[in-house]
Amino acid sequence: MAYSLMRQMARNFKQLPNCARALEKNCSKPLVNAFNVRFETTTVASGVTENKTPTIRKVNTEVREQLAGFGKYVAECLPKYVQKVQLAAGDELEVLIAPEGVIPVLQFLKDHHTAQFVNLVDIAGMDVPSRLFRFEVIYNLLSLRYNSRIRVKTYTDELTPIESANSVFKAANWYEREIWDMYGVYFVNHPDLRRILTDYGFEGHPFRKDFPLTGYVEVRYDDEKKRVVVEPLELAQEFRKFELEAPWEQFPNFRTDKYPVVEEVPIDKKS
Amino acid sequence: MSSYKYLKQTTNLTGLKVAINPHYSLKLLYGKILKTLDKMPPNAAYPKYTREIIEKRHAIVQSTERVEDIEAKIGCGQAEELIVQAENELHLARNMLAWRPWEPLLSEPPPNQWTWPPTK
Repeated sequence: MAYSLMRQMARNFKQLPNCARALEKNCSKPLVNAFNVRFETTTVASGVTENKTPTIRKVNTEVREQLAGFGKYVAECLPKYVQKVQLAAGDELEVLIAPEGVIPVLQFLKDHHTAQFVNLVDIAGMDVPSRLFRFEVIYNLLSLRYNSRIRVKTYTDELTPIESANSVFKAANWYEREIWDMYGVYFVNHPDLRRILTDYGFEGHPFRKDFPLTGYVEVRYDDEKKRVVVEPLELAQEFRKFELEAPWEQFPNFRTDKYPVVEEVPIDKKS
Repeated sequence: MSSYKYLKQTTNLTGLKVAINPHYSLKLLYGKILKTLDKMPPNAAYPKYTREIIEKRHAIVQSTERVEDIEAKIGCGQAEELIVQAENELHLARNMLAWRPWEPLLSEPPPNQWTWPPTK
């Protein structure tokens, strides 16, 4: 019984590619040593050249150049609205625009012959409370004609309304309702701006960074009243803040100075 | 005029009907776009690049008789799709007259608006 169990384990180890080298070394020894195999996998064997390149996605330089070229083209055509053009994660083109230019930029990307980004994939929101304009609104577009994607970003704060993209893309309707619901960004000229994800009578915008994790109210079924009641939240003890970050650096290969998160595409600005 | 006749059952695209006279529609639309572009400042990037594209396509449409040859020469989909593209461009060009995107930047971003990771 014990022997067959061990043989089973040894077979499992053979399937793991990391163990293969250590297993070869041990194969002349009796199979009881299969337990040792596991401990030796973490030591680097001498004579094996260490692979210096980290296991990150390779970026096609040709695609990168094309995207950078297209980013410059957009910036040249719309100098009134484009503030910055950048490549994120190697090959994702981002156009950062002034909030006044949402409609013109999206319309240009949709209708221009060399762009034809006719699909609105998603609109996302982001909250960075330390910024002057704390909310970012991010439009993800897809061009089936040229098999290409582009991201348009703009910014706003709690009080500044932003133009609704509904007149350009009908798909924007629900996405903007989501952002209104989660972040409280107001979209002007939206045909039907109301909550979409949260419950009836919900107050607040839950994706804001200052929205408490526990929420403000508690919902429970009351047996005497025979209905669901909403009560203000009462915590049995003060909410504890857990320190989840480890004291050491988790991913030293992904320091921002070594691999920048975004890379700016230079555009010539008219004064 | 030769005995060429444009015969096509379907575009195989939902909701897109076969154009009856693609030559006529394309020439009309390209002419309208060029007329709209004339109202814009000639040195601006948008009218300049758009004019290049449209004049190239316009020349192909004028010089080629068979619709299949137009599609092959332009290389951007079927004639019906080309018409849709031209309609979109015309719509955009007319809007551009009001937006005037060739003007200098409307508003600079506040410092550290676009930095990532965000400054503390």
